Amino acid sequence: MAVKRLKFQKENCIGCQLCMQACSGMHEGAFIPSKARLSIESYYDKGGDIKIGRHVCNLCGICEKECPFEAITIDEKVSVDFDKCTGCSICVEKCPQHVISMREDKAIICDTCDGETWCVKLCPHGALKFE
Amino acid sequence: MLGYQNKVLRINLDNKTYSTEPLNMDWAEKYIGGKGLGIKYIYEELTPGVDPLSPDNKLMFMTGPLTGTPAPCSGKLAIISKSPATGTILDCSIGGHSAIKVKYAGYDAIMFEGKLDQPGYISIEDDKIQFIDASDLWGKGSHETEGILADKYGTDTTILSIGPAGENLLPISCINSDYYRQAGRGGIGAVMGSKNLKAVTIKGTGAVTVDDSKKMVRKIAEILREDTTTEDNIWAYTDGTPGLVEACNDGGILPYKNFSDTTDVKWESYNSESIQANKHGKKGCGSCGLGCGNFTKIGDAICEGPEYETIAGAGPNCGISDLETIVKFNQVCDDLGMDTISASGALSYAMEMTEKGIHDFGITFGDKEKLIDYLYLMAKKEGVGADLVMGVKAMAAKYGGEDMAMHSKGLEFPLYDPRGSWAMGLAYAVSDRGGCHMRSYPAAEEVYAASIPPYTAEGKGKLVYDLAIYNAVKFSLIFCDFWALGLDRMAEVMTLATGKQFSEEDMNQIAERVIHLARAFNQREGFDRKDDTVPKRILNEVLKSGAAAGQKIPVGDFNKMLDEYYEVLGWSKEGKVPDSILSQL
Amino acid sequence: MKVSVLLKGYLVKYFEGESKRVLCFDEELTIREAVKVIGIDPESKSLGFVAVNGMRVMIDEPLKEGDQLKIYPRISGG
Repeated sequence: MAVKRLKFQKENCIGCQLCMQACSGMHEGAFIPSKARLSIESYYDKGGDIKIGRHVCNLCGICEKECPFEAITIDEKVSVDFDKCTGCSICVEKCPQHVISMREDKAIICDTCDGETWCVKLCPHGALKFE
Repeated sequence: MLGYQNKVLRINLDNKTYSTEPLNMDWAEKYIGGKGLGIKYIYEELTPGVDPLSPDNKLMFMTGPLTGTPAPCSGKLAIISKSPATGTILDCSIGGHSAIKVKYAGYDAIMFEGKLDQPGYISIEDDKIQFIDASDLWGKGSHETEGILADKYGTDTTILSIGPAGENLLPISCINSDYYRQAGRGGIGAVMGSKNLKAVTIKGTGAVTVDDSKKMVRKIAEILREDTTTEDNIWAYTDGTPGLVEACNDGGILPYKNFSDTTDVKWESYNSESIQANKHGKKGCGSCGLGCGNFTKIGDAICEGPEYETIAGAGPNCGISDLETIVKFNQVCDDLGMDTISASGALSYAMEMTEKGIHDFGITFGDKEKLIDYLYLMAKKEGVGADLVMGVKAMAAKYGGEDMAMHSKGLEFPLYDPRGSWAMGLAYAVSDRGGCHMRSYPAAEEVYAASIPPYTAEGKGKLVYDLAIYNAVKFSLIFCDFWALGLDRMAEVMTLATGKQFSEEDMNQIAERVIHLARAFNQREGFDRKDDTVPKRILNEVLKSGAAAGQKIPVGDFNKMLDEYYEVLGWSKEGKVPDSILSQL
Repeated sequence: MKVSVLLKGYLVKYFEGESKRVLCFDEELTIREAVKVIGIDPESKSLGFVAVNGMRVMIDEPLKEGDQLKIYPRISGG
């Protein structure tokens, strides 16, 4: 059975950032998009075009491959073993989506809310899907 | 109460200093946030009779406890001051992302006092506040200004700015954000201009804390599906406000040539379908569950919109049906920083005055080129532009044509003819900021719902009151106009976020308080029944075309509606709030 | 009697997604009756207003041959 991944369709995105609020609300105990594990931003580029900056984990596996300490494992989601993670930040550098951050020397990565994907549930028009 | 940051940022422009203070929680419990709490602060802190363009006027950005939470459609910012156009209280509402950024930066509200000695802008990054010289930005349109500041601060910093219109203190100037969103009416842009404040940039990396964020996320997921993205509201996403063009034309309330008649045979040139055909994207505000913004490009004209008011105002009300011209009008107004309703209102008055030979403003109905050219003259107050930007009330005092100056208290009419929706006439007359449809919107009942006959005075005072209650609390919590949630749902979401029990009855009480308070501000400035008026055109001239052909609002009926409105609110026959209510506010 | 009917907004669901159909009625009927035939409950909150030949009318008005009937859902906001 194929693993589900987060998928983003920019035509349906209105830039509400409810996804980032959902993520931080579930993981941080407050609404703080700057700490969300995904980042989607819709803005006018000099007023002439809508541009969308999307940073969403799609389970590409590069962080798992690049981690020198085998702290990252991926099955249906990314898991970080904090006992093995040294805070070297190589995963932050190598992640093509730029969605990994370091907090107190530990890698913080999207965990699909254990399959619940609250970002998907709060997306008003299905720009984010988990399939 | 949770949801709030419990912090007001107070900025002293005279000394270029700032301080923070706790949010007044006594007031927050009574007025919540947004419109209500903003008016309370301005009411308490302004001296009566202050000149709105003097350094003694204050400008307040106000959020609510829900701002920055995933409460759907909670991302609007209230901007409150005393209006340069009318002298009344003025609360505006701006979309985009500034409201949520104010909260994430750590503040419920920002109060601007005094005046900078030189043009400047303020950069806010969480608790880091900087006063920066803006002499190289002064004179530039809002679009160029946003581009420059976005290059400097990044696209995740929200920018509010004024264009030349606000800099030149036009009573019809607005504050812009996200390129195409405005705090539009009453000359709010001129308040910023009078303070030499070109822009405010806000970046926020902090948190908004609620009672139980996980519980809130789960509940909001349900509410979004059950109540927000539903048939009743999804028109905002699929069509946006241009859907009103056809409805208002069929309903007989689409204004034509300065409200000299209604309906336009060419309505299909600028209806929702025509805009959908030129749509290049959709945009919503922070925490939006709908996404009403249509990003439109046609020819070399670009804007997010145009909204119904702009379409009807620059279109049929100016005798124009060319969509590209209407989009261009929108784009230029946004960039120069002018309210499209008041700008098109001034131009349509000028067109009729010219055609009737009362005064030659050099522009007639249908002139697509001058419609745009004149905007540049207006922004600079040059030539005929200097007259136009005074607004129709002042122009009529100078040149005549008072019967066709379509305003209440000096604020130009929104684009719904009251002769086709009598309660709309009452709503315009009693609105706390002058001719406005956002305090009470009876067209929704009289025309679009056909739930109450439009051409009688019967029950209209109560209707305007009921709808004013709904909007007053909605815009204090803050929820966006386009989500038609009930008072019970409002109470539920408030309870979810703040951890304090709110009921539907609480929503009603807050709403009444806000309406009384806004009226109290105006009363203190000398406003009463004599100012709650509509132009003679509405009382004397019958419509010739459309569903409301043959209608006008007889003055006896107008007075009857007004009497009923005052009565329901417990105000005197002169429209004054009694001391017994004032002492409770 | 032939009447062309335009459904606005989400009411198109009553025409399986089509916005316009020409309906044939054996007898004269009022707009209210035509609305019921289409499947819309005239008392429901989903119904906004009705217009004939581009002009809003009351729901109990009779329809004539060749009329264009437009049916709007409730719209809020401005």
